[in-house]
Amino acid sequence: MKNIALGQYYPAKSPIHRLDPRIKVILAILYIVCATFLGKNMISFGLLLLSAFLLILLGRIPMKTVLRGIMPVLFVMAFAALFQIFGKSGEILLFEWKFIHIYLEGILAAVFMVVRIFALIVGTTIFLTYTTTPIELTDAIEDLLSPLKKLKVPVHDFAMMMTLALRFIPTLVEETDKIMTAQKARGADFTTGSIIERAKALIPVLIPLIVSAIRHAVELAVAMECRCYHGDGVRTRMTVRHLRVTDFVVLLLMIGFGASLVWFNILGIGFSL
Amino acid sequence: MSEITIEKVSFYHGKGTPYELKALDDVSLRIHSGIITGIIGHTGSGKSTLVELFNGILKPEEGRVILDGEDIWAKPKEIRKVRFKVGLVMQYPESQLFEETIRQDISFGPKNMGLSQEEIEERVLEAASFVGLDEALLSKSPFDLSGGQKRRVAIAGVIAMRPDVLILDEPAAGLDPSGREAIFSNIVDYKNKTGSTVVIVSHSMEDMAKYCDRIVVMSGGRVFMDGSRDEVFEDTERLRSAGLDIPQITSLMLLLREKGIDVDGGIYTIEGAMSRLLPLLENRSKGDIQ
Repeated sequence: MKNIALGQYYPAKSPIHRLDPRIKVILAILYIVCATFLGKNMISFGLLLLSAFLLILLGRIPMKTVLRGIMPVLFVMAFAALFQIFGKSGEILLFEWKFIHIYLEGILAAVFMVVRIFALIVGTTIFLTYTTTPIELTDAIEDLLSPLKKLKVPVHDFAMMMTLALRFIPTLVEETDKIMTAQKARGADFTTGSIIERAKALIPVLIPLIVSAIRHAVELAVAMECRCYHGDGVRTRMTVRHLRVTDFVVLLLMIGFGASLVWFNILGIGFSL
Repeated sequence: MSEITIEKVSFYHGKGTPYELKALDDVSLRIHSGIITGIIGHTGSGKSTLVELFNGILKPEEGRVILDGEDIWAKPKEIRKVRFKVGLVMQYPESQLFEETIRQDISFGPKNMGLSQEEIEERVLEAASFVGLDEALLSKSPFDLSGGQKRRVAIAGVIAMRPDVLILDEPAAGLDPSGREAIFSNIVDYKNKTGSTVVIVSHSMEDMAKYCDRIVVMSGGRVFMDGSRDEVFEDTERLRSAGLDIPQITSLMLLLREKGIDVDGGIYTIEGAMSRLLPLLENRSKGDIQ
């Protein structure tokens, strides 16, 4: 249970760690747009792949950690690639056997698809999870959405809920671990048997877990009330963040990156689809 | 009568992550059969990790855990058998309760052992009486009980498996004094009646001194002291260097001895102190009259 990589924060000192979290949220969004819409030909996909590796390097995240994060999506990647290889028709036929036709376009599309998914995962995890703590992230989202307060959207309440939810993930994971250990000590078996048997074996874990989650919620609510917590009204922060010049420079670089992708697409050199 | 031996065991939490932590460092230890062994140490000294190795919840990265002469990890598929033999009551065990009735909850362990219905019922009643639960309570929901009673139900859930070795991690944490007393006397009772080996983890010196025959002191993931109760508590200096202390009543006795009153250091309970001091007081008042 301990090694669920729900995109965990990776403590390190890197240029990306030092960026303002608000800028990182914007960078992540821009990067998602680049990876999803701006890959058109070999050059732009090559640049995307390069930029993904550059981000890993700049974030000082070990390749092993990144690959472990990609593992769960490997199946999706493989499926999407196969779908492209066998499903896409084109002009240059490479292989033909009975009803199976494989075209060069299909293989290229498969490679592009894998690069796109890789870049998407790397981009979002590097900016948002490996180098940004969950608390920084929710604070950043609250700041970015604060204009909506004018429209009476309870931005602060949502941010608080998100912070609390994130805050309790490790607690609940730990609790699950403890309860599973306790039931294992009483001979519970979670690893053998049919699917139905295994699902049934989880009942002795789920019920205590729900009970304790409710207890945590009640205790937390009481503790917050005792400190006179009030969602609305003007709240100040203990640490106020200020944007620095580097933050803007990096933002400009990202925009430049997107623009260069568009430029290469317009030039149309490299094999485009 | 079962005996657990641990040979050169090391264990890491979160191995290979930036949060890696060495919890146990080359620990060798023998848990003697038929007596109560206490394991004490500060938070993070490796006590809880150690007890989870005893019944195969955790697997040592280096070294061996031996139960009655056999390496418990020799056949990893049969690790459940070890868990039936070595019963572990975790910290705050009331968080493991889940069934509709107390009877069903206590029978969870025996049911996993594959026992017959009659056998299960017999064991539930036996376990309930060991921890002093009234039979009338058995058809109630465990969630309606008080904290102390929930704790008893949880302990009964492990005792019902009739383990040869019973391990309890902080069995009295968070209970009031009378609750503590009751839980510990139930445990001693269980040991005397069944001849089981018992291991108690705690950081209450008073409880340890009162109920344990042998004491193991853990510090920084290593065995810091290991010996009979008297041996361990005699070495006050060494205990204090691990950030632990002797029971208050014992330090009072030591102070009295320093002041020239004839008492010995091996007194760990208030009752013991009373039976030593009262005669002295009587002698003294007699002396005053003469």
